[in-house]
Amino acid sequence: MSSSEQKTGKTDHGQMPIDFSFVLASSVHDMKNSLGMLLHTLSAMMENSPPKDAEQARFFSTLEYEAARINGELVQLLSLYRMDENTMVVVIDEHHPIDIIEEQIARNDTLLKSRGIEIQIDCDSDLIWYFDNELIGGVLNNLVVNCARYCRKQLLVSATEENGFLCISVADDGQGYPDNMLLGPLPQTAVSFSSGNTRLGLLFTRKVLELHNTRKGQGYMTIANNGPLGGGVLKLYLP
Amino acid sequence: MADLGYYKMHALIVDDFENFRGTLYKMLMDLGIGNADSAATGEEALRFCKARNYDLILCDNNLGKGKSGQQVLEELRSTNNPCSDSLFILVSAESSKGIIMAAYDYEPDAYLAKPITPKALDQRLSRMIEQRVELKAALAAQKAGDDQLAIEICKELIAKGSRHANTCQKLLGQLYLKRNEIAAAEAVYRTVLDNRELEWAQLGMVKTKLAQSDFLGAQQWLENILQANPLCMKAYDLQAELFKLQNDSEGLQNVLQKATDISPLSILRQQALGDVAQQNNDLITAANALKRAVKLGENSCFDKAEVHSLFAQTTIDLFSIDKELAKPLLREAIACINNLEDNFGKTNLRRVESLLLESQLQVCAGDQRRAQDALTSAQASLGSTKDEAALPVQIEMVRTLRLLGKTDEAQRHLNDLLHQYANNEEQLQNLDVLLDEPRSEKNKLMVAEINKKGIAFYNAKDFTAAADAFKTALQKLPNHIGLRLNYVQAMIDKLKTHFETGISEKIQQTFTKTSAIISQQHPQFQRYRQLNDVYNTVVRTYEKDKRG
Repeated sequence: MSSSEQKTGKTDHGQMPIDFSFVLASSVHDMKNSLGMLLHTLSAMMENSPPKDAEQARFFSTLEYEAARINGELVQLLSLYRMDENTMVVVIDEHHPIDIIEEQIARNDTLLKSRGIEIQIDCDSDLIWYFDNELIGGVLNNLVVNCARYCRKQLLVSATEENGFLCISVADDGQGYPDNMLLGPLPQTAVSFSSGNTRLGLLFTRKVLELHNTRKGQGYMTIANNGPLGGGVLKLYLP
Repeated sequence: MADLGYYKMHALIVDDFENFRGTLYKMLMDLGIGNADSAATGEEALRFCKARNYDLILCDNNLGKGKSGQQVLEELRSTNNPCSDSLFILVSAESSKGIIMAAYDYEPDAYLAKPITPKALDQRLSRMIEQRVELKAALAAQKAGDDQLAIEICKELIAKGSRHANTCQKLLGQLYLKRNEIAAAEAVYRTVLDNRELEWAQLGMVKTKLAQSDFLGAQQWLENILQANPLCMKAYDLQAELFKLQNDSEGLQNVLQKATDISPLSILRQQALGDVAQQNNDLITAANALKRAVKLGENSCFDKAEVHSLFAQTTIDLFSIDKELAKPLLREAIACINNLEDNFGKTNLRRVESLLLESQLQVCAGDQRRAQDALTSAQASLGSTKDEAALPVQIEMVRTLRLLGKTDEAQRHLNDLLHQYANNEEQLQNLDVLLDEPRSEKNKLMVAEINKKGIAFYNAKDFTAAADAFKTALQKLPNHIGLRLNYVQAMIDKLKTHFETGISEKIQQTFTKTSAIISQQHPQFQRYRQLNDVYNTVVRTYEKDKRG
């Protein structure tokens, strides 16, 4: 390429490296739209021809659950891409934690009901805190979906203030987290998230918590076993 | 549920998929909503909203062809209609962030992500309605124009520790700003900021600083906000306002450029960028921004005929300085000007204006026959009117005649106009755009002042400041040869101190334009030739040095 060509801004497109993350992101975006149609058609189908027996109901619920899970992962992927490109808008404002907790539980109503899971919420309805409700809502949604998969029949979501941080904790009555997850600095562990998930949810959670920082400090998370319901307990701390 | 009055509510569902409308309808009925109508497009929804008040509008953002949900919201909130303060939920398959970025001033009451479940809808609705009920008295007072009462109610709610104290504080700040009680507004924002650095309160502080003309203070707050969140579009909008108040049109263009780079979908920002770039004589930026504004206007209530005309005019002006840059825009400019009457209503003057702009664009496109046809139709439609309202169109007529090479006819037409408005200072100011030497007192004074200022800079060897001074006057008097040559001279000296391709191109463009308007009999023709020679020498020397 001659220097005069460079000056006029003409570049040889054949030699441009492929921005693979961009290609991925556009295609994820497209997949998400298709999946939205799929989810929507699925619910219309269930409406038109309701399940005839318990087995069919289980099939429907599996279809719905798996599609919702893919949808959730694609949303996270896109968010992570935006964070990486620095095009992620974070809007911290005052919110009621009870609102986002109820919102995520309402979103997953069908899933929770079909698995017969009983949910308890322990949160002062007047408690206010500062966070990006859409991002924290996304994190909480993952947690609820994951716990719904691994708990036996009870889930406890609570929110309290602890030493100047908001602590949102999600506890279940399942087997708890495997030992290798409990050891070492949590976000870096190469182990699967809530045994069986990819690390995507974990990465997303970590990034979202990092985006919540003030002079007091940064958001973080902890996991432990032998929680209030006997199983694992995951806690999100927000400054 | 019933105590929130669901049964009394009338809702409107807007979605382009029929079975989705059905699903939502059923959900609303199951929740006990009294009544619900459905619309398949944004246009249909707006017709419904003009006919009656809806308590609640559930609108998908992506409605296929036609208006988007955001555009429906903008139109409802910015125009007079029975639904201007209905609860509006924007439904979207995306996260709401992308929509927020494109939005200018209007936000929905809530975003709801697809897929929607009955439980999630119920939860969101009850939350919104509970808040509406709590703030009802304050909002009613505000709507009735009794801001003082609204302020009192907000204060009471905050004092009694309302669950929605945060929303009350936002409203309170806005009310104080509107009543120009700046100190009170500042106190509200400071109270919030003492507790936490929230963006809306920081933006509020900027507004109080702007209201007090404390430009430095406003700038500092804006820098803080943008450092924490470089994607805060509201901060860019306020920064634009700050530059406007300071008459800093270069700064204004820069910030609008940044904002439209980040979020190209806001029509109002594209329009503003086109306007200011045109004033700054940055025609390529202006033409492209206006092209995007015209495109975004297709379904927007913010579309304006002036933006379409300005796009065509800017394209024509751009062609006169650089044919290659203008060529790719010609087709769209012609299409946009041909649709002017269809889009904005038929009037005789609009018809003449569109024909004259089309004629000039056809000259640029190399189609003399079409150009002549359009001109003939325009002349027939305009007739020999003496109406003052026709002056802008008559100015366009002179430009068209000149571009078509009908110099004598153009001059006769211009002379008639000068004669007609000889004692009309205001209209003379408008006619000055066609003249070498201004006739209006105001512009005569401006030329004298700018020349004095520019020459002082030039003598002090501040060539950039000198060129900028001449340039600002040139936008108002594009045919003023003296100013144009002063501008070129300052630019050449700037080029001599430091060779830059950008500057060299600008000089080249100015020569192209000058050669089109200067005649050999012009008293400054000699000077024009000399400057041209100097410029060529500078360029040759630079290229020789580069090689050697």
